[in-house]
Amino acid sequence: MQELTAQLREKAKELLDAKTVDLVIGYGPTGDNGEMTAVFARKPEDVEKLGLNGQCFRNLAVYLNKPEVRKQGKPAIVVKGCDRRALNVLIRERRLAREDLHIIGVNCDGVGEPLMGKCKFCSVHNPEECDDVLGDQIEMPAEDGQFDDVGEMEQLSGDERWKFWSEKLGECIRCYACRQVCPMCYCKRCVVEKNIPQWVETSPHLRGNLSWNVIRAFHLTGRCIGCGECERVCPMAIPIGLINKKLTKLVKEEFQFAAGMTDDEKGPFSTFDLDIDTDKGIL
Amino acid sequence: MKEPEQKLVVPNGWLEALVRKLRVQGTRVLAPVERDGAVDFREINSADEMAANYVNTRVPLKEILFPRTETILEFDQPSGGDVVFSGVEANAAPTIVIGARPCDLSAIGVLDTVFNWDYHDTFYGQRRANTTFVGVACREADGNCFCGSVAGGAGENEGSDVFVRPTADGALLEIMTERGKKLAQSIDDAAPAAGKEEPLPVAATEERFDVEKIKGWLDDHFDDDFWLDVSLKCLGCGACSYLCPTCHCFDIVDESDWRGGERRRNWDCCSFALFTLHTSGHNPRPDQQSRCRNRLMHKFKYFVERFGRRACVGCGRCIRVCGAGQNIVNVLIDITRAEAATSGSA
Repeated sequence: MQELTAQLREKAKELLDAKTVDLVIGYGPTGDNGEMTAVFARKPEDVEKLGLNGQCFRNLAVYLNKPEVRKQGKPAIVVKGCDRRALNVLIRERRLAREDLHIIGVNCDGVGEPLMGKCKFCSVHNPEECDDVLGDQIEMPAEDGQFDDVGEMEQLSGDERWKFWSEKLGECIRCYACRQVCPMCYCKRCVVEKNIPQWVETSPHLRGNLSWNVIRAFHLTGRCIGCGECERVCPMAIPIGLINKKLTKLVKEEFQFAAGMTDDEKGPFSTFDLDIDTDKGIL
Repeated sequence: MKEPEQKLVVPNGWLEALVRKLRVQGTRVLAPVERDGAVDFREINSADEMAANYVNTRVPLKEILFPRTETILEFDQPSGGDVVFSGVEANAAPTIVIGARPCDLSAIGVLDTVFNWDYHDTFYGQRRANTTFVGVACREADGNCFCGSVAGGAGENEGSDVFVRPTADGALLEIMTERGKKLAQSIDDAAPAAGKEEPLPVAATEERFDVEKIKGWLDDHFDDDFWLDVSLKCLGCGACSYLCPTCHCFDIVDESDWRGGERRRNWDCCSFALFTLHTSGHNPRPDQQSRCRNRLMHKFKYFVERFGRRACVGCGRCIRVCGAGQNIVNVLIDITRAEAATSGSA
């Protein structure tokens, strides 16, 4: 790990010295608990703040959407395989241009202690299409059972599911941490903020919370890469990742599609073809 | 620390008896209860339901007086008629809150100031008048607690109506207010304190920065690169504010169908870009650095100037809930260092 950190700092310094990029978005330890949070190295001497360890669970791709970060100039970004998938979606959706980005991939055998759930089912330990890659190739087959928790939920009756989600979503305080941490939630003005008319009630009562959480999940259908950040940051511990996962499962079963595996394949809800979609009443 | 009106000694079992008596009287009792790993204030019928160990509740005490959402007006238009408005009563049933922490109680003082500043907020005021707070000294803190740096620490009694200092065989009760005296009448087996009681030690929350110096630096550094450095990682959500015991901003919305509806007051947050967006499209706080700066300035400068007290009590919730890993203590330590560097060079 120390060796990887040294390699990363060296690479970051080289990029900043040569002005290949204006900033390097990476991880670094904050405080005394070893937690790795986002570090923005803008000067060559800043690279000493960068680091890599098994606690780099955050998905830094979200920062590429922030105007404050964009304003700093051309970025290099440190990504794991899962985060790289998020970049693919952003590039495919013309949010980013590949050439405007320097990607430092890190081969990853999982993060978090204990290992995060998403890592057990990961099929992208070695990020592809990067400008640089750090670390040895990882050979680690994905475990079976990625959608077991969705399956358990599907076994419940409608009434039981309603009770479960009413209780959980009733707790939502509408802080929008789930939206703000999501790399795919980049709308300049979110639908929940549109008030002429007010499409979604902003009050944190069950009715408003249901509208918000369902709309949030729908907008991520076929786009969510399953980084799990929304659920991780929820201060009320609502298992919102499970809703995304249900939709991911549907998209996989119905359209044989997984988001972000390439940067040019359109998601099932991003395509419309007059010759193929001949159902009347859509337009 | 305030001098109590009265000090009482009670044996173990006093709390169980008190809750039982209050419930028999039909009084609403709120206390920290653990559910799915999270401790929050909930209604209890018996002291057994209370969480055994908790540093603090997930949602701060403020929600009891200033809920996340509440109806403040209803309107209706019967077919063909005029719109009829009807007022709404605050849900202000007499309530005893047991087990609140000194930081959160100190924060109620901040809310009192704001909600009675120029306009006396009736919804807040009615609940406040009908709520009795029983605070408890903290025997444990976690690494994110910093009340020792900004407020009175783990044994501060200010803000409580009754303050509980656990002892080896019961508790020392400090009766702080008239409401506290009234509650004390329901406490059995209470004897006047002899002055020799030894409360169990409270959690140590050492001073991690010099809060007095922070305002001085803030006064002179409205425009500074520091704000960009500390804000780049901020994602602009409302978790820190919503779960802050002193943050008190709210939004007012009308929710209706084609005939009638209600006006609601909801928590709002200055970290959101929409918070200051004008109808014209202009936004006086156009980026996250100006929003992060405002949040800190409000707590450590503006509020101090306007009301003579800080709007941060060191509960540490903003650190615990931040998805981006922002740590206000580290930011305040950085400010203290910057202040030292500035005053050293002057």
